Amino acid sequence: MDTQSLTLALGDATHAGRTFDVMPVAGDEPVLQVTVSGAEETPVYITVTDTQILCLAYLFDTQELNPERLHELHENMLRISVPMPLSALGKTGDHYVVYGALSPTSGTAEIMQELVTLAENAIDLLQTFEDYLA
Amino acid sequence: MRTVLKKILTAMRGGVNELGEAVVDGQGNRILEQELRDAEQELKQAKQELAALMAEAASLARQIRVEQDSAGKREQDARKALAAGQEELAREVAERIVGHERRATELTQTRELLQQRIAGLKERVQRAEKQLADYRRELQVVKTNERVLRTTAQIDTNINSNQSSLSTAKETLERIRDRQAREEDRQTASASLEKELTGADLDEKLKAAGIDSEQDAVNDVLARLKGNQAQ
Repeated sequence: MDTQSLTLALGDATHAGRTFDVMPVAGDEPVLQVTVSGAEETPVYITVTDTQILCLAYLFDTQELNPERLHELHENMLRISVPMPLSALGKTGDHYVVYGALSPTSGTAEIMQELVTLAENAIDLLQTFEDYLA
Repeated sequence: MRTVLKKILTAMRGGVNELGEAVVDGQGNRILEQELRDAEQELKQAKQELAALMAEAASLARQIRVEQDSAGKREQDARKALAAGQEELAREVAERIVGHERRATELTQTRELLQQRIAGLKERVQRAEKQLADYRRELQVVKTNERVLRTTAQIDTNINSNQSSLSTAKETLERIRDRQAREEDRQTASASLEKELTGADLDEKLKAAGIDSEQDAVNDVLARLKGNQAQ
């Protein structure tokens, strides 16, 4: 599965009543921005490597957080990461992200399931951790 | 693996510019890839060597068996010669037997040495295989890290140039709340539309105004019944 076939597959697909709006992100790396209907506020970014399909959604940046409650937030993020379906919490650069990695042999159905879950999880997480914003 | 993970964490904590890190990791990649190729090469050579030694050991075992069999056969010959009183012939056969036995001993010694080398080589192959798996895992981590950094840098640049900036969490939350409110409104609207279509809303209004057609009908029937009774 590469980003091109993903673009084609997701374009007209529906999954659990959702549709997908796919837009390539210009640059050297093959990256797609996927907007899931009903969760448009948290687009999911997909990139495909030899070993995995990486999907991630942005939550917040370090600067947006209340520095005094950072430790507590981290603790809670680690705890919530385990039971959260198909996603884990992480950080890249200054961005806190929720992400999921799939095998490159995954089919469209698995990828769509991941995208829907990730976008919804991102919304739930933002609303859950809203109190930690500065 | 530990060193790779530590290097990545140190680079991250430094808050170094993300593309700069990617370049550093790119060099790390090349070094790792070279190490991977070296380990693969070593493994291939060791396996070839191992196969050759094992074939040699098998051949030696066969030769040892041949010498032992020959010695066994000649022993029978020697016994027969002695029984026939052919002392001279028996001595000649005995000399042959010594030759076979000596060669069998020599070959066995060679084979033992060979088996030691085989055991050592097997260990080397196992070590190389483990190291290869380690390198592959490290390379995967380094490459994925680099890819994630590049990808996020690319998203940042693009979203930055297209919109004003990557929206802040507060803006996103605002939009989520707006949508959720709109969805709620839509649900309320569709519920009231349903009432309108079934006339349930009008019935409610009439009831609120003290006009209840259902109750009126019951009263009418009762009045009629009472009237009949009176007649």
